Amino acid sequence: MTDFLQLTVAGLSQGSVYALLAVGLIATYTVRHVVNIAQGDYATLAGLGSISLVTAGLPLPVAILIALVTVTLASVLIERLVISRVKNLTTLVSIILTLGVSTLLQAIMLLIWGAEAKRLPAFPGSDLTLGGVSIRSQELWMLGALVVVGGGILLFYEKTRWGKALRASAEQPVAARIVGISPAIASMLAFAIAGFAGAAAGVVSSPIYLSIWSGGLLLGLKGFVAAVLGGLVSFRAAIVGALLLGIIESYVAGYVASGWKDAVAFFILIIVLIIRPAGLVLRPNAVRV
Amino acid sequence: MHRAQRRLLVPAAVAASIALALTGCGASNFGGDSGGDAAAEDGPIKIGAVLDITGVGANLGVPEQNTLNMLAEQLNADGGIDGREVELIIKDNQSTEDGAAKATTQLIENDDVDLIIGSSRTGPSLAMRPLVEAAQVPTISVAANAAIVDGSEWVFKTAQNDLVVLERILDDAESKGYTKIALVRDATGFGEGIADIITELGEERGITLTATESFEPSATDFTAQMTNIRAADADAVIIWGITPSAGLAQAAYVQLGVDKPIYQSHGVANDAFFEAAGPAADGVIAPMGRLLVADELSDDDPQKPVIDEFIADYTESFGTSPSSFAGHAYDAWLVGTKALEAAGTEPEALRDAIESTTDLVGISGIFTMTPENHSGLTADALIMALAEGGRWTLYEE
Repeated sequence: MTDFLQLTVAGLSQGSVYALLAVGLIATYTVRHVVNIAQGDYATLAGLGSISLVTAGLPLPVAILIALVTVTLASVLIERLVISRVKNLTTLVSIILTLGVSTLLQAIMLLIWGAEAKRLPAFPGSDLTLGGVSIRSQELWMLGALVVVGGGILLFYEKTRWGKALRASAEQPVAARIVGISPAIASMLAFAIAGFAGAAAGVVSSPIYLSIWSGGLLLGLKGFVAAVLGGLVSFRAAIVGALLLGIIESYVAGYVASGWKDAVAFFILIIVLIIRPAGLVLRPNAVRV
Repeated sequence: MHRAQRRLLVPAAVAASIALALTGCGASNFGGDSGGDAAAEDGPIKIGAVLDITGVGANLGVPEQNTLNMLAEQLNADGGIDGREVELIIKDNQSTEDGAAKATTQLIENDDVDLIIGSSRTGPSLAMRPLVEAAQVPTISVAANAAIVDGSEWVFKTAQNDLVVLERILDDAESKGYTKIALVRDATGFGEGIADIITELGEERGITLTATESFEPSATDFTAQMTNIRAADADAVIIWGITPSAGLAQAAYVQLGVDKPIYQSHGVANDAFFEAAGPAADGVIAPMGRLLVADELSDDDPQKPVIDEFIADYTESFGTSPSSFAGHAYDAWLVGTKALEAAGTEPEALRDAIESTTDLVGISGIFTMTPENHSGLTADALIMALAEGGRWTLYEE
C-alpha cells in the first residue's frame, strides 16, 4: 500500500507538469486553433534561463520571476513574428510552423547552455514523510504551481472581462469581432497564457527533473496527450487527464516495467483519438473552455 | 461525432506522428566529398572521433570533446607527429546507435581517417564495431563494457572493464559481510550483462543477486524502481549508470529511504554526479580511476605527474576540472598518437603498434595491450572512492 501511494505521489507531481503544459496548449488551440509544438520548449527555456540567473547571483525568486516574464514575452513575440504573419492559418500549418519554432529554440538553447543537463536549486521547504510515503517539498511546489497557475487561468477565463472576451473569441470568433473584441489581442493574450503556464512548469520541475535543451519536445507531447484528453478545449478535463496520465505512467513503471513508461502516453493518445476524440469532456457538443 | 472533434482528429494525429518521428531521428551531417588515398603519406594524419556530445551521454561526450581538441592543439603546436600535422575530425552521434554508425561511415568513406576514437557510451561503441572491423580502421573506444573489445581485431578501449569494476565492488561487499545484493541498472548497453556478471562473480563470494531494476538514461523519475528496490530483500544496492540519470536515481534512493549501503559504478566519476544527486550523494562508494582523487595521491604514484599536468592544462583551458571521461579520451589519444609515432598510418602496422603498447602511463591507469587484450587496464587501475561533501575522496586503495 505504501508503495502504491508512493507511486501515486510521483505520478501526481509528474502529472502537474503535464497539466501546466496542457493548459498552455489549450489556451492557444481554443483561440487560434494552433497546436503549439514549442509549448514544451517554453518550459526548458524558463528552466535554463532561471538557472543562469541564479548562477549569476540573483536570488531564486527574482530569477524565477524574470524567467517567467521573459518566456511569456517570448511566446507573445513568437505569436507576433511567426503565427500572426500567416494568412489562412490552419491547424496543420500551425503544427509545421511551431515545429520550426521548436527546432530553432532548441538550437539556440544548445548554443547558449550547452548539451549537458542543468539543475535549478530546490525551492525552500523540507521533505516530509507521511505514513511511510516520502514527499519532497519540491513536489508540493509543483502541485501548488498547478493549483495557483492552472486555477488562476480558470478564474481568469470565467470571472474577468478579458477572460470572457477570450472565451467569446474561441466560441464565436465572428460574433466576437462584431462586438469589438480584437482577434489580434485575443491571440496575443492566449500566447501569453501559454508562455506563462509553460514557463511555470519549467521552473518548478527543474529542481527534480533537471533542464536540458532537448527535453521540451517529449514534455510538450505528453502535455499534448493530456490536452487531447481534454478534447483540446476543456482546461478542467485536460488537468484531470494530465494527472491521470502521470499516475498511470508511474504505475506502469512500478508494476509492469519502467521501459514502458514513455509509451503509455502515446498508447492512450491512439486509443482516445480512435474511440473518443472528445477525451474526458462530458458534453462534447458544447465548445467550452 | 461533433464537427469540432472530427476536425481535431487529423491534426492531432499529424502532430503526434511528426513530433514522434523527430524525437527519434536527428539531423544528419553532410561530410565533404574528398576521399581517395593519394594524400596518404604526406598530407595531415587524420584522426576521427565519434562522441556522445548531445543527448543522454552529454556529461561524457562534452569533456571528451574538450580534451581531444586541447590535445590536438598541443600536439600540432609541438610539431605534430613526425613533422606531419594532425587533423582531428569530431562528430556528434547524438548519443544514438544509428548516429554513431552514420558518423563512423562518414569518417571512413569521406574523411579517410587513419584512426578513430569513440564512442563515449557502450551502445554507440558496439554499433561502430562491425563497421570499423570491416573497413579495418584501428579504433579506440572510450566506453566501458567489455563486449566492445571482446574478440575484436581492430577495436580497443581505454575505460576500465565493467568486470574489474564489479570485482572491486563485490570484494568490498564480501569484506563487509553482505550476502544479498540488489541492482538498479542502465537499460542500455552500459548496463547490459551486468546482472549476469554479478551472479557469476557473486557465486565464489557467497553473494546472490536478489533483485534487478532498470532505467533509461533519459529518465528523470525513479520512484518506481526505488520503491521496488526498497521492497527487495538485500543487504546492499548497486546503481549502475551514467550521469545525470544515475545521480537522479541516487537522489530518489535516499529520498525514498531505501537506507542500505550503496555502490555505484565508474559511470559517475565526475562532478556532474553531485549536481544531479545533491546532498544524497554522500556515502556512495564507487570504483574509479585516480583522476578525481588526485590531490590525495602519494608523490611516488607513477600516475601523479601525468594526472597533475592534465588537470592543470584542462582547468586552464576550460575553467572546470576534468572528469574521468575526459581522462578516457586523454588515454585514447595517448595510446593512438604513440602508436602513430611508432608505426605511421598503415592500418595493420598501426594496429600492431597499439597492441604492443606497454606500461604506458595514462590518466585512468597504466596501459599494457596485447593482441588478446585490447582493454589494457587491470584492477590496479581502480581505487575505491567515497562521495563526501560534494566531491570524491579516497576510500581505500
